[in-house]
Amino acid sequence: MEATSASDSVTVPETVTNHKEVVGRKEPPPEKPSDVRRRSFVVLSFWAIVLCLGLPIWWKTTSIYRASLPVDEMLDWSDGRACRPVFPLKITVEASELQQQEAQNLVRLTQHALDDLNDFSGHHLRLQLASPRSTTEIVQTTKDGTSALTIRLSPGDSTTAALHPYAPVLDITYPPHTIPSPTSSSSALATFVANQLRSTFAEEQATISYLLSAASGQPEQKPPGVTPEVADALAKRTTRSLKYSPTYHLTFSLFTEGEHPSSWDIQSAVDEFMKPVLDVLSPIHNFTIDTQVQLYATPGVQSQVLSKVELSSFINAAEWPLSPSIGGAPTINFVVYVGNQTIGLPAVEEGPDGIATSQSWLIPQWGTVYLLSLPGDATHVPTTLLKQPLLTFTSHLLSLLGTPQSGSLPLRLSTLSRIRSADLLLRASSTLGSLARLSIALPSIAIPSSVAEGVANTMSHLRLACDTLGSPEALYHARVAEAEAEKAFFEKSMVGQLYFPDEHKIAVYLPLLGPVGVPLVVGLLNELKAWRKRRRERAEKGKQKKET
Amino acid sequence: MHRFLSFLLLFLFSLYASGVASAADYHEQLVLQPLPLSALLASFNFRSNTSLSAFEAHNYRFFPRSLGQILQHAGTRELHLRFSLGHWDAESWGARPWNGTREGGTGVELWAWLEAEEEDEANHRWSTLTNALSGLFCASLNFIDGTRTTRPVMSFRPEGTLPNTNSSSNTQLLYGVLPREVVCTENLTPFLKLLPSKGKAGIASLLDGHKLFDASWQSMAIDVRPICPPGGECVLEIEQTIDMVLDIERSKRPRGNPIPRPVPSHELKCDMTKPYQSDDTCYPADYTASQDWTLSQVFGRLMKGACPLSDPSVPPVCLRVPHSRDVYVSVGVREMKNADGLSRCFEVPSDAEVDIVLPQIGQAGVTGHTANGAILTPDTPPLYAERSFTGYGQERGGVQTILTNPSPDKEVEFVYMESLPWFMRIYLHTLQARLDGQNGADNSLIQEVYYRPAVDRARGTQLELRMRIPPASTVFLTYDFEKSILRYTEYPPDANRGFDVAAAVITILRVGQEAVSTSSLRTTTLLLSLPTPDFSMPYNVIIFTSTAIALAFGGLFNILVRRFVAADEGPEVSIKTLKTRIAARLSDLVKKFKQAKIDRKE
Repeated sequence: MEATSASDSVTVPETVTNHKEVVGRKEPPPEKPSDVRRRSFVVLSFWAIVLCLGLPIWWKTTSIYRASLPVDEMLDWSDGRACRPVFPLKITVEASELQQQEAQNLVRLTQHALDDLNDFSGHHLRLQLASPRSTTEIVQTTKDGTSALTIRLSPGDSTTAALHPYAPVLDITYPPHTIPSPTSSSSALATFVANQLRSTFAEEQATISYLLSAASGQPEQKPPGVTPEVADALAKRTTRSLKYSPTYHLTFSLFTEGEHPSSWDIQSAVDEFMKPVLDVLSPIHNFTIDTQVQLYATPGVQSQVLSKVELSSFINAAEWPLSPSIGGAPTINFVVYVGNQTIGLPAVEEGPDGIATSQSWLIPQWGTVYLLSLPGDATHVPTTLLKQPLLTFTSHLLSLLGTPQSGSLPLRLSTLSRIRSADLLLRASSTLGSLARLSIALPSIAIPSSVAEGVANTMSHLRLACDTLGSPEALYHARVAEAEAEKAFFEKSMVGQLYFPDEHKIAVYLPLLGPVGVPLVVGLLNELKAWRKRRRERAEKGKQKKET
Repeated sequence: MHRFLSFLLLFLFSLYASGVASAADYHEQLVLQPLPLSALLASFNFRSNTSLSAFEAHNYRFFPRSLGQILQHAGTRELHLRFSLGHWDAESWGARPWNGTREGGTGVELWAWLEAEEEDEANHRWSTLTNALSGLFCASLNFIDGTRTTRPVMSFRPEGTLPNTNSSSNTQLLYGVLPREVVCTENLTPFLKLLPSKGKAGIASLLDGHKLFDASWQSMAIDVRPICPPGGECVLEIEQTIDMVLDIERSKRPRGNPIPRPVPSHELKCDMTKPYQSDDTCYPADYTASQDWTLSQVFGRLMKGACPLSDPSVPPVCLRVPHSRDVYVSVGVREMKNADGLSRCFEVPSDAEVDIVLPQIGQAGVTGHTANGAILTPDTPPLYAERSFTGYGQERGGVQTILTNPSPDKEVEFVYMESLPWFMRIYLHTLQARLDGQNGADNSLIQEVYYRPAVDRARGTQLELRMRIPPASTVFLTYDFEKSILRYTEYPPDANRGFDVAAAVITILRVGQEAVSTSSLRTTTLLLSLPTPDFSMPYNVIIFTSTAIALAFGGLFNILVRRFVAADEGPEVSIKTLKTRIAARLSDLVKKFKQAKIDRKE
């Protein structure tokens, strides 16, 4: 460093002596300060262009579009912080035989008793007294969905309770003396009514609290008020039931190993044995029905008596044409297999469960198989023989749809719609959470604006559903929210260029950045070196001046 | 040949007649016909139908549900699907089975009448249909997009009676073709699954992917059409057809030892009439050479009885050889000779394994003389067609189709349809038809032209010509085209193989009755080679432009930044100075090293 600086600093006498040597090297004349300054400007302007123009353009053209997602809110939904599902159920009490004040007192006492019994805050029963109207009107209002259940009180000999089989009505009779006096703080009749209500809604309550606890991600922690046995049964039922869909395709298939029977009276059998239930279910689901006959179908298991393990491989999925229907809706398969095979039941285990009889079994989220044995060479299956299979199919259909098992049919169905809306709400929330976590975990994934729109839609519908839980609109909103959330999560353009190898980037950038970058960097370094040297020289000169 | 055609037609009509009788029924028949050059044509035909009311109520019995659902979902009135492989050698095999109406060009062909008011709706339904069929048949039918779809105007006519057919304006015909698709066993399996017998009984038990796709030519066809007999209930009919031409020598090879080996010289079948015939010279006797076979040999398995579902009035197997030949059959099979003297049918029990043996026609069969009695001479087809590329280079090309009318007295009228890919830009003004032996174009040959030009990357060219060829003459139909250059990403894998151009469809019209198709044929597909780029090109371009930029930039930057001095003023740069500098550095290092050693010792 010292040597070079000495040779560079121009000392005139030395150069004069060197000049005399023929072979010796000359020093270049001193550079003009304006040239030095100009060179600095050149280098700096190049760097300015690179930094102010090149880098922004590069950044702009290579960055991926990521619409901003409300990640925190989405995570709130998935963690259950955004919505606390509450099901306020209105129960109308109709006591035409009682005086207004007596009736009000009874309702108040029953409500107290109910509140004392209730240990799960999400599911809340609220009693209200019906204004004295005709019975038909009340049935009307229950159909509108404002009231989940009507209690019809009527005087009788003893305290009894009975669910009306075709309407959401609980008939309670009471001996006249049990009516509480306006001053009393407790009443046997009120407690009885409260207990009846609680047992009626026990299954729904258990199911919803199970769903909520499963969604919060702590399956070990048992929800309050649900015994382990009940929880197990609920878990079994939830895994068995199909994902919610507004429409289901029902496919009835007749399979047989040989060439007969090749025809069946399925249309009339369905009309007779299954149609009534489908009609009742129509407010919640639509159904399309198709039937087929498949001959020469060999089952996956050939043994005469099927054991429990063999049931799972009985359906010969590779050969049997049970392809799902086209169109979005899921298919539920009902298979009648004509053959002389039977199911060997371990009598103790399976008997009371009612799922596996000796002829049929239910395949979770798929459908039902019924083994039908026919005499000899029958070529046609009449309606009478199809009665038992179709009744089995009907009960299995309800269980595949996730309908609760206790209570009267209208009550079960209204419970189903509430369970479904809670389920859809939780599903949509968890999809939102997954999307939020995905967008955090993969910083290089593109998020198109349609996803952001979908998320916004989902959240607005979730909010609406959460606010109207327990009413029929909730099901609609939850359904829309779930569909929107799924659409946003499975957006096609998000997965397109997920993998872009780094080697590829090197191959693209290196040929340009190498030859251009090296002169730029070396130029800058030289310039810095020269600038430091000049500063030192100036300092030395200043020192020398002072000394002299 | 007309006898054979009329035989098939008669058979078809008899099936129609019986189809009217019951709403849901099933028929199947296999027709075997030995062809010259030791070939055997096997025509499998399966037909089942369902009443339209049952179809609309989604009750399927013999009609396959998987296909029925697709038809309903896509609003399809009539559907025709073809999977074909190989080339029909019309020169030696004569006219085609079913008059060519049950075959397609190489690859996959699909045409359907869809219920749609507008073009957009039709396109949407078409894409639904192709996607669903693609899943059902494990074929790439979903690649039939706008560029591969045409709307033929003259070539196809509905085979069934469309309901409310008076207002046929609300059905639209779409035609799509995939010439590159390789038809294989995975297409046969779903095809067999559509049959009520699932390929486990009846003649379908003979179908085996190994033999079918080893054939010289094969075509699988599915036709769905609504038929409304006058006064009867409308039915929806599905007809599945498989035609195959087996090379008997090839099929008889044992499965475990399929490698062909040269025949020992004493087993060669030579034409003894040739004057040069000797021990070391042999002219192969072509006609009867190995026209002896058994069913189990050519299909690799025995037939598992007649299908119990099928109509008992239709014999399941028919064989077309002269009555003079003996045929041996298994026990229980009853032979019925037809009155025409050219064919016989077999009634087969449903629970027996059946074999049919066509023995060698005596020792005399070795010579060429008795060949004429051994098999039937195939009929002459109404038209021969062959198509090829002309032109050279990477830019210009041409297509030439040679159409020959063999009939000595009848002229033939037909519609010639090409659906070409968009990157083949044809020059319509160069289209000309020329009679053999004449110079210059003959304008009277082409009677009508329907032309829909291509739109780049959106749709292909559609060209339909109605032509009339005088008796016993040959017509050369030629046109030129330009090959366009595709974008980098538009080339398929293995682009240097070339691009398949779909077969031309020739629909022969019955003279007198306008626009009623009687038979059709297809040319072979063509392989068009387009100029293909070097696919490492993007990297080359990047490196090349980068180098150019670096050179320009480096020069500019250096001129601006460097200081120029005289040669003797700058720092000395030569090998000598470099050497001395390196030597000095090295000696410095050595010294330091030694010093360090000494220090350590001390």
